[in-house]
Amino acid sequence: MQDASYEFDAIVIGSGVSGGWAAKELTEKGMKVLMLDRGYMVEHGDYPGEGKGAWELPFRGQTQKAKVESDHFKARFGGAEGSDKAHYFNNDRLNPYAYDEGKDFRWVRPAIVGGKSILWGRVSLRWNATDFEANKKDGNGNDWPIRYDDIAPWYDYVESYAGIAGNKDGLDELPDGQFQPPHPMNVAERWVQDQFKSNVPGRHFIHNRVANMTEDKPEQGRSRCQSRSQCARGCSFGAYFSTQAVTLPAARATGNLTLIPDSVVTSLEYDEAKKRVTGVRVIDANTKEAKTYRSRIVFLCASTLASVQILLNSRAEGRSDSFANQSGTLGRYVMDHIFRVSISGEVPGFNDMIEYGRRPGGIYIPRFRNLRDDQKNEVDFVRGYGYQGGAGRGPKWPEGFGADMKEQMREYGAWRMGMMAFGECLPYRDNTLTLSPTKVDRFGVPLAVFNVTFHDNEYKMMADAKQEGIRMLTAAGLKNVKAEQREHVPGDAIHEMGGARMGHSPQESVVNKWSQAHDAPNLFITDGAQMASTSCVNPSITFMALTARAADYAVKQVKANII
Amino acid sequence: MDHLSMNRRMALGAIAGAFGMTLIPALARAADLAADPTASELGFQPTTTVFTAAQRAFVAAYSERIVPTTDTPGAIAAGVPAYIEMMLGDWFTGNERADFIKGIDAVEAHAKTSRKKSFAKLKAAIQDEVITEVMNGKVPGAGTEFFYASRQLVVSGYYSSEIGMTVERVYLPVPGRYDGDYKYEGRVFTG
Repeated sequence: MQDASYEFDAIVIGSGVSGGWAAKELTEKGMKVLMLDRGYMVEHGDYPGEGKGAWELPFRGQTQKAKVESDHFKARFGGAEGSDKAHYFNNDRLNPYAYDEGKDFRWVRPAIVGGKSILWGRVSLRWNATDFEANKKDGNGNDWPIRYDDIAPWYDYVESYAGIAGNKDGLDELPDGQFQPPHPMNVAERWVQDQFKSNVPGRHFIHNRVANMTEDKPEQGRSRCQSRSQCARGCSFGAYFSTQAVTLPAARATGNLTLIPDSVVTSLEYDEAKKRVTGVRVIDANTKEAKTYRSRIVFLCASTLASVQILLNSRAEGRSDSFANQSGTLGRYVMDHIFRVSISGEVPGFNDMIEYGRRPGGIYIPRFRNLRDDQKNEVDFVRGYGYQGGAGRGPKWPEGFGADMKEQMREYGAWRMGMMAFGECLPYRDNTLTLSPTKVDRFGVPLAVFNVTFHDNEYKMMADAKQEGIRMLTAAGLKNVKAEQREHVPGDAIHEMGGARMGHSPQESVVNKWSQAHDAPNLFITDGAQMASTSCVNPSITFMALTARAADYAVKQVKANII
Repeated sequence: MDHLSMNRRMALGAIAGAFGMTLIPALARAADLAADPTASELGFQPTTTVFTAAQRAFVAAYSERIVPTTDTPGAIAAGVPAYIEMMLGDWFTGNERADFIKGIDAVEAHAKTSRKKSFAKLKAAIQDEVITEVMNGKVPGAGTEFFYASRQLVVSGYYSSEIGMTVERVYLPVPGRYDGDYKYEGRVFTG
């Protein structure tokens, strides 16, 4: 299907969870694809921290304090404080962004091909039917032009290939998927689960669902999780979903992929008369050489905020505003999950039992607020939240010093159950990402400026999550139940979404129901930027499904010669 | 350290073998990479001198009393004194380093005043008395915060060392499976 006037059939910008899927799907459907990423290349297996004991890591695994303060003062919230993985994170000094005084925003970015797919938390939960209806129902944000049934087959598709371990729990609020067997609960968690069944009615204490396999996929060269719990260092077993282990090998196997790392996309070239993106402008991160690549279609998957920044910086000749902003919504409705509410308690007993191995997933308590109309008066906020966590035992941490202390350190402390709330943040028009009118980065791109704050609904939700967490763990019979609500800075959850939202019409949204830009039908924005709301579940598996769905549609449109 | 690195390389190799080398070619590479001597000593050995000879002797003796040799090696065998010098010189900031050294000097001065000897030259039981006095906030210039900070450095250095992780504790770099109902047998797993 290659057209002589283009170098490539498709350009995929970004190589994370979404970009990887775009490249896999498009190349497998026969398209010649160029994949660009601003990060440096990390090949599968070339993971410097993998398999090392603390004594084999610089500073026993702790990144130098001065280095964190100078170069990773934002990335520290994503894990750059660990010297086992700091090399995967953005240098915040060299690649700055801006926000107004008092409006701190944490933009945690990777520095590598594969993006956050190497570093992610791997929790893979489906949206439910009410998630897609919520905007319309409670009037916050715009109506999603798709419903659960539109995405369900694509969840099936990506789950089967990625390898998701989870239990089929039969809950409407958390639809089941194509699962491998779940990672088992430990003895303490099974006890808490029993307690929930008898003492915490209406609340479900279930296995978490994670992209760490419990069964091998020899056809993909991947084996099941080895319980090392070193995921973010990179996994040569390919036991969890990452671009390197899963989508990149598939795309390469077609012979249709060209991957160019160290390629900073600065903007898209746009032909106003043809209403098409005609090129992707790139600066080589090392040589600073500028170049424009051309293709018939473009998949923008640079990550939520980077994609919006690129779009904002893309203007037709002679225009002051982005070509993609006919609706006036570009850069608006930026969201992140609520985070930073945690609850823990002691599980009595089981003192002779410990854990062997380190498991990648624990437990999940699905959303229970505002699921049905008859719950309307239960709380003074809309939407809801879920909890994820697990139980475990750490070594005792005795006082004092000497032989007695050393001997006591051979014992384990009590089983403790800990969990954390993730909640839905509403789409607000005034939560924005704009471009700095005065400051540019080292590639000449105007700095992203964040103006994102949580509002009343989010604060009420956090307070409720704290209170309900205490109530549930106490009712379940845990001892010394404690809760903590720390300051939440937007971006903290690293679940940023929105800014180029999906909607019915070009007047109210940036992309249509196929993740296709209203103002440029050959442009697809399939990462988190397209999200019109956030649900309360971890977003990556939804980005995967929407990307695969968009790729399928795009190729059909190309083949039919429509775009 | 060589034999232990070899064990780990063999462990990784054995796993690769179990699945077939063609299945996971990257594993062999990971094993080799890990065995390479590091290009930089930064983060492994002190790159700068922080202590005088007397302070170094103090830190060695003090560390060994915090985590002594018992049926397993103690802090000195685990290289904790060099770890502390590395952390102070290459990891902590200048103020933290200066405060820590002030604490060392204060305890040493206290030993000389009250026990008429350098801390490092005292008998173990007397050293323990001195440390107990530090712990209880009885030593001018080295309060309980110095005790907790110094104890923290020794303990974290010991339990993150090769000896601490593989001899004192049971090192499980590749457990291969998860068992959440495992019988406790007197030792702590690490990995």
